[in-house]
Amino acid sequence: MTTTKTSCLALVATILVGASAAAHHSPVMFEFAQDKQKRIEGVIKEFQWTNPHTWIVLVVENEAGVTEEWGFEGMSPNYLGRHGWTKRTLEPGAKIAMGYAPLKDGRKGGFTMNVRLPDGTVLQELPPLGDPLPQDDR
Amino acid sequence: MRTRTTKATQTDVPNKGANRSPIAAALMLVLIVPIVASGQSASGSSPQGRNWAEIPTLPDWSGVWELTFTPRTASGNPPELTPKAAAQSKAFLDGRARGENLQSDLANCVPPGLIGIMAQPYPIEFLFTPGKVTIAIETHSQMRRIFTDGRSHPEDPDLSWHGDSIGRWEGDTLVVDTIGLDPAAPLDDLTGPPGIRLSDKAHAVERIRMLDDALLRITTTIDDPETFLEPWTIVRSYQRHRDWDIREYICQQNNRDAADSEGRPGIRLD
Repeated sequence: MTTTKTSCLALVATILVGASAAAHHSPVMFEFAQDKQKRIEGVIKEFQWTNPHTWIVLVVENEAGVTEEWGFEGMSPNYLGRHGWTKRTLEPGAKIAMGYAPLKDGRKGGFTMNVRLPDGTVLQELPPLGDPLPQDDR
Repeated sequence: MRTRTTKATQTDVPNKGANRSPIAAALMLVLIVPIVASGQSASGSSPQGRNWAEIPTLPDWSGVWELTFTPRTASGNPPELTPKAAAQSKAFLDGRARGENLQSDLANCVPPGLIGIMAQPYPIEFLFTPGKVTIAIETHSQMRRIFTDGRSHPEDPDLSWHGDSIGRWEGDTLVVDTIGLDPAAPLDDLTGPPGIRLSDKAHAVERIRMLDDALLRITTTIDDPETFLEPWTIVRSYQRHRDWDIREYICQQNNRDAADSEGRPGIRLD
């Protein structure tokens, strides 16, 4: 993903997740700023297709070669299900790469921004770039 | 889109009859007008959907509707608050500066009240049955019931999240009048001042109509003498999705984001 796209996505994420706060919670636990977003690779252990948020348990090998579990919140099945995702999109054992907004408290987790599947397909969690809630001026 | 004149007359029958022969159209008038007219006596000129025969004469709001546009106040400004509500909002913001009130009750799966529940990121659906319009709300799997059977509000309604709602059709506009809102319900509206709660004196009027085949507009005016110095009007627009269905949304299914009693955020990783 290019820097420009990352920047746009961060803006959209802030707006959209902010709007989603009305449904459930504020995004205050996560660092959505573009220069704070990170990328991680790992193996899917579990994909919880649940409300109010999906949840990914990712097994990651750290720099010392030791595996550890990370947790990532994502958009709801109600949202993702209308944008091409299913409960089987992330199967256990799949090796993926993920862009994420890290937890501010430094624990091993964050909010999923996008995922690259083993076949190279990249899925966004958030809406198409540049399309947050527009104004209806009528 | 099926269009209708706003004032019902003897020609105010569904346009799908317009392509038929004059004889068929005349027959339809003969057959339909008495049915429509039977519902007009109690509530002016518009059919009110009080029996099954009238339901097809109501506007076609089928499909589901997603809040796709940014809600706004009609004036462009937040409402003017009473001193009591202003103090409430200031105390809330002071708490936020201390790291409190960063989450609302919604993080603990408490649904918002009438005002906030109509501005959620998941869609709503309108169901017409005789004497009632039901709004199925995906977020928190909520349901609103609007009685269009001509009844009045109870004199002393029990307080509730969605209040007591009665409605009447004015042409293609459904006008919904609501009282009896529970002050305990989170307000949760992005257009309003943070931290305020409506009182049990609040009175909301929603005017709901389609602007075109794909866009629904709800204009909500809230009068609450304990909270606002003048009525507060919110304008919200919704986009139609004919191929979506309302899904279940049980917040307690896997809520990892519970906040503490002061609204400090949390997240459970295990």
